[in-house]
Amino acid sequence: MKFSELWRFSSTVYKEVSFQSIFSLRAGSGLPQSGRRDIKQLVRSAKFNTLISKLVTSVFLAIFAITVFIPILFSDMGPPIPREIAIPGGISAFLTVVLFLIVFMGLQMSTSFVSSKIVDVLSPLPLSKRDISRIVFLCFVRIFDIPLVSAVVVFLAVFFFIGGSILGGIVSLVGIVVTEIFALTLTVLLAKFFYAKVARAGGRSIFQTILRFMFMLVWIIPTFAAYFVVNFAREIVIAFATLTQGLASVSQTIVLIYPFSYGFLVSYAAFLSKIDYLALSLSVVASAAYVLLAYYCLRWVTGTVREIGTGAVTRSAREIVKDTIIKPQIPWVGIIRKDIQVASRSPSYASLFLLPVVQTVVLAVTFSSFSEIGPATALGLLTGISLLTLLLPPTLLSIEGLASAYTKHLPLRKRTLIAAKTLVATTTYIVSIIILTAVAFFIGKDFAAIAIFGIIHTFSVAAAIMLEITILLRKFWKEGFAVGNIYSRITTYIMILIPGYIFAGIPMALAFLSFFLLPAFVLPVFLVAAAVEFALMTLVVLYQK
Amino acid sequence: MLVGVLEPRAGKVEIYNTPISNEVEAKSQIGYVPEEVVLLDSLTPREFLEFTASIRRLDTSTVNSRLERFASAFEFKQYFDTPIAALSMGNKQKVAILAAMLHDPKLLILDEPLIGLDARSSKILKELITFHAKKGGAVIFSTHIMEVAEKLCTRVGIINKGKMVGEGTVDDLRKLVRSAEGSLEDIFLKVTEQEAGMQDIIKALEEE
Repeated sequence: MKFSELWRFSSTVYKEVSFQSIFSLRAGSGLPQSGRRDIKQLVRSAKFNTLISKLVTSVFLAIFAITVFIPILFSDMGPPIPREIAIPGGISAFLTVVLFLIVFMGLQMSTSFVSSKIVDVLSPLPLSKRDISRIVFLCFVRIFDIPLVSAVVVFLAVFFFIGGSILGGIVSLVGIVVTEIFALTLTVLLAKFFYAKVARAGGRSIFQTILRFMFMLVWIIPTFAAYFVVNFAREIVIAFATLTQGLASVSQTIVLIYPFSYGFLVSYAAFLSKIDYLALSLSVVASAAYVLLAYYCLRWVTGTVREIGTGAVTRSAREIVKDTIIKPQIPWVGIIRKDIQVASRSPSYASLFLLPVVQTVVLAVTFSSFSEIGPATALGLLTGISLLTLLLPPTLLSIEGLASAYTKHLPLRKRTLIAAKTLVATTTYIVSIIILTAVAFFIGKDFAAIAIFGIIHTFSVAAAIMLEITILLRKFWKEGFAVGNIYSRITTYIMILIPGYIFAGIPMALAFLSFFLLPAFVLPVFLVAAAVEFALMTLVVLYQK
Repeated sequence: MLVGVLEPRAGKVEIYNTPISNEVEAKSQIGYVPEEVVLLDSLTPREFLEFTASIRRLDTSTVNSRLERFASAFEFKQYFDTPIAALSMGNKQKVAILAAMLHDPKLLILDEPLIGLDARSSKILKELITFHAKKGGAVIFSTHIMEVAEKLCTRVGIINKGKMVGEGTVDDLRKLVRSAEGSLEDIFLKVTEQEAGMQDIIKALEEE
């Protein structure tokens, strides 16, 4: 079969994989319950999301490529590090960023690729095994097409723009291609591991659940990497250059280590007048060895991708079962337990539970620059955390949409559902405050304001969560909580969030007002406002059937 | 409508004298197996059954003794800690059946429950349905396999294009189509006015 035909067929398969990556893993098997129009909207949205994800990765790479060469273009903006170290350091940083950004971008889609059993659909068609393998491989390549091409094009464009030599360009091309092959290898390895050990892993113990959350953390945290790469591009380049300088002073063998081998080789080929022939020889040998390694990696990737297409990795091992005993709980505990179990196997839901951890890491960085943490700072921090926390209820409720055709017939009371979801969402807020207080304590800042205002504001946030869930229940109780329903109209989503934000903001606004009018009453005003909101919403929830 | 998936536009529905507007009470009396078994795929059967048993507020000892019996009967024990997503269609169906029967409901609503089941499990389910009816329970059973309906059901309703076009025992339906003989399949074709032209279609297929 012609390559053009194979490429065309792979497009259809790719569309399905991208669709699954966006919705199936998140919405479980809830799609059959959606209407035809909703599904069409979801398909369009999946296409758009995957394209955006690729373009964003490409833009990040472009920004980073430009940052790498800033020390060469503008010596005064560069780090206080010699040019012969700054250049290989910068190029090594770029290769590392290419490696990780491509892995992070591809991870979610690759996991769907692993789970989709593409060959089951293709094998009944009159296609040879070889053609099926090629289609599967081309489909995999499509996941990464734009970033792979843009990494090469952008880097070379900037490289030649600043006057890089042809030889340097060729070495750069080799370095980037080797890096991209390493990235694909790492992606397939992680996706295979994630699918086999996490998404499809059974097990009932708390230890196994914690273990799955740990895997999730590894899976989710890197999604924030793009943010750090762009915001701290210059710092990363400087850090790499400093690292290069440090290691180079200790030993010349740094040129044997990937990605420094290519960093040095490109520098020697393009920019540097002083050449250390021993280092050059070593970097040539190391770079050639990495090309060989990349060749074997590519062979492994192509073989594994074809094997994945046949569903070979999707057969999970059966657990050894000792008994059939189940431990029913009271309904709201049952819902929370189920939510945690679902989240421990689904990255998008797990990210909700792990949000406080990530958020605290970011806040801890900001903390260090504060001279003191008074009521105003504490209220500012709490506003930030509550805004993020109030995004949780719609997503938490969408877990109920995963099997709504079945669960709709269960005798579940609205107030039970509201209580369970409120408790889960409020817990993430409390965890954030505990971590924040602990961080303030350990870095020697005054933590009392955060702790006191945080505890009081928890009641207001709980009330806001109850309000959001009550609105969601009124709107979607009958039609179901599928992701497609809740998120298909962004305006609906926003209209649910706004009342929540207003509710959580009222005690804050009153406290600020009191700060100017009656400074001695800030805390009592804050407390009364939060308590009234909580009492009011508790009454509303108790009224629900 | 009975299980809360569709909203009634008019009229009144009661389940054992409980109006379906009283959702929680009404649903407590139902065990339901949907046509398309869409469960929480990321959970294991044990986790899923724990969830449904929690929502139904079932007593631990009672539920476990029932579960042990059903799981043994359906030879399902070995799959208890395997994620539902990794189960075959038949085994997913078994999870739905177990969940529907756990609370010993008065009313069983089974929508094509035999799909995907092996012969042994089909036989066991049919026997369970019979026992349930003998104990005084009711079963609403939907199927496209007329032989199954004929053997298993005491009353049969035929729905054509969303309307009930025939209802009663198989004998009542025979009277409806004015035919002393013929299987339920023949009755179905007559009631739904699909019999006419059927011979011509079969003949045309044969000639091809």
